Amino acid sequence: MAVPRALRERWRSQSALVLDLVLIAVVWQVSTYFLPPIVAPGLSAIGRALLDIFIEPDLRIHLIYTSLRVLVSLLGAFIIGTAVGLMMGGSDWFRDYMRPLLNLMQGIPALSWIVFAVIWFTEVEVRIAFIILMVTIPTFALQVDSAVRGVNLDFIQLAQAFRASRMQRYAMVLLPAIVPAIISVWSVNLGNAIRVAVVAELIGATTGVGFQLLNAQAVLDMAAAIAWTLSLVLVLFFYQGIIMMIERRLLAWRPKGEQA
Amino acid sequence: MNPDLPVTFQNVSKRYTQRDEDFLACRNLNFSVAEGETIAIVGETGCGKSTAMQMLLGLQQPSEGRVQVLGCDPFKEFDALRGQVGIVFQTDRLLPWRTASQNIQFGLQVLRIPKARRRRIAGEWLERLGLSQFADAYPHQLSGGMRQRVAIARTFAIEPRVLLADEAFSALDEITASVIRVDLLRLVREQRTTTIFITHSVPEAAEVAERVLVFGRPGQVVKEVNVRDLSSREEAAAEIRIGLQMARAESRRCETSPT
Ligand SMILES: Nc1ncnc2c1ncn2[C@@H]1O[C@H](COP(=O)(O)OP(=O)(O)OP(=O)(O)O)[C@@H](O)[C@H]1O
Ligand SMILES: [Mg+2]
Repeated sequence: MAVPRALRERWRSQSALVLDLVLIAVVWQVSTYFLPPIVAPGLSAIGRALLDIFIEPDLRIHLIYTSLRVLVSLLGAFIIGTAVGLMMGGSDWFRDYMRPLLNLMQGIPALSWIVFAVIWFTEVEVRIAFIILMVTIPTFALQVDSAVRGVNLDFIQLAQAFRASRMQRYAMVLLPAIVPAIISVWSVNLGNAIRVAVVAELIGATTGVGFQLLNAQAVLDMAAAIAWTLSLVLVLFFYQGIIMMIERRLLAWRPKGEQA
Repeated sequence: MNPDLPVTFQNVSKRYTQRDEDFLACRNLNFSVAEGETIAIVGETGCGKSTAMQMLLGLQQPSEGRVQVLGCDPFKEFDALRGQVGIVFQTDRLLPWRTASQNIQFGLQVLRIPKARRRRIAGEWLERLGLSQFADAYPHQLSGGMRQRVAIARTFAIEPRVLLADEAFSALDEITASVIRVDLLRLVREQRTTTIFITHSVPEAAEVAERVLVFGRPGQVVKEVNVRDLSSREEAAAEIRIGLQMARAESRRCETSPT
């Protein structure tokens, strides 16, 4: 029986990851025989802790909190960043002022934003949202700006020759043309947002994966620390899966070779 | 000059300023096109043919003189000409994220024609150009000739009164080009569209046009050839070649003489 080509290709692209995971697990399990459990807990202990996170409502809620914080803040950053990027793409002087500002923001470490947020805001949710926004808005804006600048001038002229209005030019040419760039910046920012969200949750939060990691550290529970970390990776994969689904829908027009 | 003619250029000059340097792309350009007439503009590269068309489309403003299209100033009354002027470019410029049918609907969408009607019109054009099976194909799935056909359908779908074809066939191989040229000419004759072909090819100009304007550099008409007054296409081609030689001599004289 012939294995369908798509399935075979998917296995080829995923097989490396699976082998990597198996390799890590084997090395880890071997090292548990030589190290004390507090440093290197066994795979079964980690597996149980990870399962608990998904099964126990009291634990699961923390994962949901972090996931939602990331999602809501990213959506906000996406809207603001895209708006700023579109304005930059449409106006040279606005771009001249915004670019240095955004580059400056990108140069500020996440840790500094955390300190600023703690001083400026008292509400924990506001702090976390602020930090994620500050870290991810510049990437959205700069990428959208450069994508707008990269739109094939022929297409813009086509729209002009057909006397499309400004709004029509955006809706019919510019926005569809920058969709690939927007999707790729989403996947970059997703990783960034999850990383800073967890760090932000270390300060003052009583919910979220960051808070749980802090707890695990306090009681020196390595299995829990690893399990929470893995749960975050799974959240990342989950979101990336959604992005890939959206990508497959929106970018179905691309020639097969160019699809990610 | 008769203002009722669909296209008139009156003493039009166009100066581009780049880094404080003036560059004259068109100088004292005069010509007009009659209702339903098919003309061709021939000229060496860089002589300002595309610049003239940009002014006709209202995407550039003349530095001096007056351009009139269907009684409007195409630059100042930009919106008034929506749906009236069509253009076929050298490259098809099909939007890669739209299917053939959706690409044909582009201009109709600009004109805010309801979706159902848009679809029907696109379907009719696909059928007329023998592309019915490819309605839902994306541009990258079509051959160069098919893509240019879709681009032509996109232009004709809005039923323009004035049509420009700027080197519309020069990106295609010779065989495909001649087939599509015949298609386009058939449409132009059926719709009685006032048409301007811009081309480098002398035989092409002699074949498609009733009248040929030979451009010199900077953009101006150095010779006009009335193809219908001549006995054959070959004779027209010979006349056009004479015009091109005149243009070349003229521009050489300009380059050598001190200004
Ligand atoms: N936007 C612009 N800014 C400055 N110079 C320009 C601009 N557009 C065209 N030119 C110049 O004007 C001259 C005429 O250009 P144009 O594109 O009209 O020539 P053309 O006759 O269409 O040439 P071709 O046959 O190669 O298409 C060229 O020398 C070109 O460099
Ligand atoms: Mg040109």
